[in-house]
Amino acid sequence: MDKAASANPAFRRYRRRFIPITAAYVAGIALATWLIPDKAPANFTTITIAALPGLAVIGWLWAMARMLIELDDEYLRLLEVRKAMVATGLTMGITSFWGILELFSPEVPKLPVFFVFPIWCLGLAVGQLVNRRTFGDSSGGCP
Amino acid sequence: MNNRLKVLRAERSWSQQDLAERLGVSRQSVNAIETGKYDPSLPLAFRIADLFEESIEAIFVRD
Repeated sequence: MDKAASANPAFRRYRRRFIPITAAYVAGIALATWLIPDKAPANFTTITIAALPGLAVIGWLWAMARMLIELDDEYLRLLEVRKAMVATGLTMGITSFWGILELFSPEVPKLPVFFVFPIWCLGLAVGQLVNRRTFGDSSGGCP
Repeated sequence: MNNRLKVLRAERSWSQQDLAERLGVSRQSVNAIETGKYDPSLPLAFRIADLFEESIEAIFVRD
């Protein structure tokens, strides 16, 4: 993406929102790792700490939705939507495939649901590559 | 859909960046429209037509 496009105010605002939300997500995971012992009961403390990364993920999706609303360039918006669609398709495909394996083959290791969002984020990177290959462009607003 | 955007731009000695600024879009958008990778929405097609003082059909033609 060229500098002029990445300087779009919608991308700038998105990046400003993204940083504190990412900090909350990382802090939530760090707190969970530090404070929740293995095989902990699902009590108030455990649920509260686990909710923090969940709320951060909602915040991320809200920030992306705001960016799509505020982005006044229809072509850049198309690139962002395509990226999210590739990420969603990949995530659904991988988790459905693995989910069926888990249901019917007990020897297959369980994929913790926690990894659904990181897989989706990796899907965004794949979506960026798809945009680059099909359009020759990749939007740079959304990590 | 084909278009005459590149020719119209060249007649005015505008760069893609110049045209993008006049239209209020990114240079990437202008490049994608010029190369036929992306067909603009009707509102953007009207903005392009107004800028070049031509009709939409005179700028955008069917394959």
